[in-house]
Amino acid sequence: MRVLVVEDEKKTASFVRKALQAEGFAVDVCHNGDDALAAARATSFDGIVLDIMLPGRDGLSVLRQLRAQNNATPVLLLSARGEVNERVEGLNAGADDYLPKPFVIAELVARVRALGRRGGESKSTILQVGGLTLDTVSHRAQRGGKIFELTAREFRLLEFLMRSAGRICGRMTIIEKVWDYDFDPGTNLVDVYVKRLREKIDDGFEAKLLHTVRGIGYVLKEAP
Amino acid sequence: MKIRTRLTFWYAGILIASLLVIGLGTYREIAEQLRHDHRKEPADHAIDETSEMVFQVGLPAILLGLVGGWWLTRRALKPVTKLTETVEKIHEHNLSDPLPRSGNGDELDRLTEVFNSMTARLDGSFQRIREFTLHASHELKTPLTVLRGELEMALDEENSNPPQKERLLSQIDEIERLTKIVDGLTLLMKADAGQIKLSREPVRLDDLARESFADAKILAQPQNVQVSLAACEEITILGDRHRLRQLLLNLTDNAVKYNKPDGTASISLRRVENFAELKIENTGAGVAPELQPRVFERFFRGDPSHSNTIEGCGLGLSIAQWIVAAHDGTIQFASKPDESTTVTVRLPVAS
Repeated sequence: MRVLVVEDEKKTASFVRKALQAEGFAVDVCHNGDDALAAARATSFDGIVLDIMLPGRDGLSVLRQLRAQNNATPVLLLSARGEVNERVEGLNAGADDYLPKPFVIAELVARVRALGRRGGESKSTILQVGGLTLDTVSHRAQRGGKIFELTAREFRLLEFLMRSAGRICGRMTIIEKVWDYDFDPGTNLVDVYVKRLREKIDDGFEAKLLHTVRGIGYVLKEAP
Repeated sequence: MKIRTRLTFWYAGILIASLLVIGLGTYREIAEQLRHDHRKEPADHAIDETSEMVFQVGLPAILLGLVGGWWLTRRALKPVTKLTETVEKIHEHNLSDPLPRSGNGDELDRLTEVFNSMTARLDGSFQRIREFTLHASHELKTPLTVLRGELEMALDEENSNPPQKERLLSQIDEIERLTKIVDGLTLLMKADAGQIKLSREPVRLDDLARESFADAKILAQPQNVQVSLAACEEITILGDRHRLRQLLLNLTDNAVKYNKPDGTASISLRRVENFAELKIENTGAGVAPELQPRVFERFFRGDPSHSNTIEGCGLGLSIAQWIVAAHDGTIQFASKPDESTTVTVRLPVAS
């Protein structure tokens, strides 16, 4: 899988490249928007990691240009916290996913990998991981014949984790996508909610689904 | 005593003294004349005539002098009063606006000029401090991201043993803390530099209060703190939804975090006149009265012994204060040590 990383901060770019290469990706790096457009025209990539803040032509403009040229390469936007408007614009302009900065590298890698499987994200109303099922219409979850009551927030958290099943989700990403908070709340909100959710879906079951990735966040996955 | 009053008194004194001199001179002149004319009982006559003249002419003259003097000092000091009023409005953020000058080159105009150049120098210093901190927090971000990434990759390597992993994890935790501090500082610095634009859309405060109440209840469970929503009136204000949510979460989280085990916290939202009044009370250890004026300062810690046991970047209340000020509201902190703490936020309601 070949990936283009567009990031003006050279150090960040180089460690993203290192991390992606360690996972077996072929990585090209550009430091500005015009180079990125040229590279995307010359080579067919499987995914583009695009920073919004770039000197000269910014990430959003690169994205619009790409889409205008009928280039449908999946794009993962990197945006600093506080750039909500840019992010919304980005998604409207055809970005496939976004990740708030500062990001967790494991999460970035997981998302880049998911870009390759684009379209694989289930739009189905019934989500299933292991023996756990979540009906996104009736908000009902069940596992092994047991039905759980979920609060609105727990439901959104579980839905998000199930839709990204198998992928590490950083705390900040969870805060952004489940709570829609555009700032670091400075609390252990996520941990407390995950703990409650875990009590519901994992307690009393042999195989645990909701795992902690220390220092990073959480992942919902079937035990191997 | 005001300069004007003091000057008027002095002026009155001088007028009375000069009247005495005139009176004395007149008396001697009249006495001399009378002695010359009649050569008897000159003194009594002289006194009568002198006092008559003094009362009939001197007193009106004094009154006129006083009124004129009062008017004159008032006129002379008017520019000073105006200058004082303008200087009173100066604060950290409008230092760059110069005071209006009369341009007539008098002493006060010169004073204004000197004052303007002083505030311009101060403004420059403030500006440099702000820019420095903004750049510093920006410069710190990238190395932190890189450092974190490197540590994560090291953590992934198979050959590290458990104690090594533990050390790496604790380093990641510290980097996380540092990142939070840098994030908070960047936010405040951008706010200081006026680089943050808040949106102004109708926001239902009661919805936000209920939402943060739900989160606070969950956050409070580990400490067994009872959270209640004492009042929640339907109120709409014009503001920035994201920032207002941040404010509410920030304050309710504090009420839970800085509380005693099995304590209580209560949130209330009421309309008071043209304001939405949000009160958040808790049964925490509070802050000593002499330290209370400082709670909104950056990195202020009420109890230094707690600074490491409670997680937080030390900027929460500063950020809360900024959000409230940006919505033209006020925030107050009142605490009875070891009993209760109340934070009161008042935000103007959309009219």
